[in-house]
Amino acid sequence: MARVNWLRRHVRPEQLRELSLLALIVVAVMFFGSMIEGYYSFRTFNRIASSVAIIGVVAVGQTLVVLTRNIDLSVGSIAGFTAFFVGTLIANHNGVNPLLAVAISIAIGGALGVVNGVLVAWGRVPAVVVTLGTLAIYRGVLVDLSGAKTVTTDSLPQWLVDLPRLNIAPVGDLDVRPLFVVAVVIVILFQFGMGYLSFARRFYAIGSNPEAAQLIGLPLKRVVFIAFVVSGALAGLAGFMTLARFGNITVEAGRGLELNVVAAVVVGGVNIFGGSGRVTGAMLGAIMIGTLEQSLFRLGVSEFWRDALLGLLILLAVASDAVILKRLNRIWARTELKRIDSLAERAP
Amino acid sequence: MTAAAELDSPILDIRGVAKRFDATQALDDVSLALLPGEIHALLGENGAGKSTLIKIITGVHQPDRGQMWLNGVRVSIASAADAQRMGVAAIYQEPLLFPDLNVAENIFICHRDRGAVVDWSTIFRDAEAILAKLGVALDVRSPARGLTLAAQQSVEIAKAISMDVRVLIMDEPTASLSAHEAEELFRLVRDLKRQGVAILFVSHRLEEVFALADKITVFRDGRLISTHPRAETTPSRAIADMVGRQIDLSRRRATSARLEPLLSVTDLGRRGVFEGVTFDLRRGEVLGFAGLIGAGRTDVGLALFGIEPATSGTIRLRGEAIKVRSPQEGMRLGIAYVSEDRRQLGLVLPMSIFANVTLPALRRYRNRCGLMRTSLERRTAETFRTRLAIRTPSVDLAVAKLSGGNQQKVMLSKWLNTNPSILILDEPTRGVDIGSKAEVHAIIAELAAEGIGVIVISSDLPEVLALSDRVLVMREGRQMAILDGDDADPETVMNAAMGQTSAKPLGWPA
Repeated sequence: MARVNWLRRHVRPEQLRELSLLALIVVAVMFFGSMIEGYYSFRTFNRIASSVAIIGVVAVGQTLVVLTRNIDLSVGSIAGFTAFFVGTLIANHNGVNPLLAVAISIAIGGALGVVNGVLVAWGRVPAVVVTLGTLAIYRGVLVDLSGAKTVTTDSLPQWLVDLPRLNIAPVGDLDVRPLFVVAVVIVILFQFGMGYLSFARRFYAIGSNPEAAQLIGLPLKRVVFIAFVVSGALAGLAGFMTLARFGNITVEAGRGLELNVVAAVVVGGVNIFGGSGRVTGAMLGAIMIGTLEQSLFRLGVSEFWRDALLGLLILLAVASDAVILKRLNRIWARTELKRIDSLAERAP
Repeated sequence: MTAAAELDSPILDIRGVAKRFDATQALDDVSLALLPGEIHALLGENGAGKSTLIKIITGVHQPDRGQMWLNGVRVSIASAADAQRMGVAAIYQEPLLFPDLNVAENIFICHRDRGAVVDWSTIFRDAEAILAKLGVALDVRSPARGLTLAAQQSVEIAKAISMDVRVLIMDEPTASLSAHEAEELFRLVRDLKRQGVAILFVSHRLEEVFALADKITVFRDGRLISTHPRAETTPSRAIADMVGRQIDLSRRRATSARLEPLLSVTDLGRRGVFEGVTFDLRRGEVLGFAGLIGAGRTDVGLALFGIEPATSGTIRLRGEAIKVRSPQEGMRLGIAYVSEDRRQLGLVLPMSIFANVTLPALRRYRNRCGLMRTSLERRTAETFRTRLAIRTPSVDLAVAKLSGGNQQKVMLSKWLNTNPSILILDEPTRGVDIGSKAEVHAIIAELAAEGIGVIVISSDLPEVLALSDRVLVMREGRQMAILDGDDADPETVMNAAMGQTSAKPLGWPA
């Protein structure tokens, strides 16, 4: 019993989850290393890193939304919309300040998130319906506005073209590039924020027991709204990152990103039923998904099979969550009962 | 200020409060004073207006008329947050905790003055201090998920204390607790009382109320019928006030058990849940299952009905060995299981009464084209409405609109309609008011007299003893004893349930 209590206290299910995910990533890398010639190279690392950076940033926002028992399926469309809009803006005005461009991206994403947030929090429409709708609408508006034209690399200013290849802090032969640094900074910020800000703890409370949250007067609607705005804003940032990474932006930009992101969040141990999960877990999930995506691509596996694999991963993650959590709860409940019985026996 | 003056003036004074919902006058001119250091019990059948009063005090509803005075100042409580600010807290039958947050965070969740950044080490220390003061041993770092109901109630009390509570409302806090757990809770309540908290205590368990309360108020039909100091009233008088008629729940039922065994269970078990359960159930017999919550009584019921099939042992029905692997098989064999969880497992709340009643036997109500014959369904429901005295204007009404006792009767109708020869009732009167409880007891006796073998699983010991011909006692998934009616007194049963041999059981008046 003492041992179970120790375990209960020191190893949370989500930590167990993150550790096993880390092990899985190592196994995956070793597997691909043996299958692909020249896999252990900086080129591979950089490719995976920039893919992970984009998935990771959006996954952080998605984590907040999923914690409140909602889901944001429109992130891919928001990222695509932002990438195209800001790309066109910069192509037409090459002199735009880089920081202003980033700020505009975040603002556009945030504004699109506001629409989701208002409809879910105050319109009382289920998040799946709202964001499935906006997923299609945002993409549709994008196609209409763009007239199906593309933003091309040669219309962009030099700083933006160079951005993804910029080497911030060389570690030996390894390049540390801005996109990845941005993702890491965001993950660290949100990890601490979610753990230590009282407002952020309400995300967990509301996802954990909405009725109780309502009864003790937590601002349920405001929290849900903010989750969607943050998710939108981070998707907007990811849109800018997509623009920087590819240079060429078509109306297809960011399409299917939501599948990667939801997979990252769920594989990273964020409970799809809300209330539990960590930002670092979502980031590990993003690393797993990014690694699989890029490596399978190099193995020549088709896009459809890659998506199918992601779907399988989502299902496996949710199923294992259910089974593991049920087991742990049963063990905990049993030790608790024994403790109470022992108290009863000691009482006069 | 002298202590006497302080004790005399009420903390919360409710004057002439009234509340109307559509056609029903939920509360009518109710005046009630809660004094510091006093436990004030509130009794009444379901629908008497207790919940409405609680909701008005906690800011969920606004009264149509009347005033509320807190410490001599007139106040209006417009929201749950308002109530918290004023030091009014409520604890409900089902604790309102956040399963994913740890114990400490749950205790301080209502605090909005602890800064924007959570200082975990302080929170853990403060939570430990509060729990230590309560004498409750809980790990403040572990999540609330998986805590027993009793432990969750303790956390709720810690939560109330952390907010410097002056008025504590307890709405049937012991409904799901075992006797020992309830006694622990009462210890905490008495501590709070000594600290000068005014406590409003709502319960359906009379023995609890008379053991704990200083004053007893009875509601009926939204009106305050009587308020007496405990010494000046008696349980039977309180019941009379509640229902307007005398009811005796403690009288033992006359046996109707016949000789031939209906069900023989030998060494039944389900891996990791319960084991070694052996008993005979005769026709017309009522077999009671007693034990603490979590002793495995419900699991035996689930195994007999096939929801969670047994993994070892044998079941014989009228001498023939049977296997029950699914509820469908259980139903075909004439077994019915009435769940303890009316809301989640038993009834489809938004559906009409008749649709609920005919649900397990739909095949009988299909016409040749496979369509439902609603007129026949209604006729069946009407029969049960008369037979079980379900109080409803129409069988077309949604079950959600009925009171707890009437919902329980619909549940019973639903399973009786499958013509069972064995009826398993799990907590048949939980959350049911005392008048309906007596009716449910009478129905059970009647069903047994008709030759049905009845198993009653109940945490309400007087109920088990009054109803049962024999009592099977379980503890930690094991069968401790089968007591014949004459040997089954509260002490013997509780001793077996607690695994004690000599010491007097806790929480049970001698």
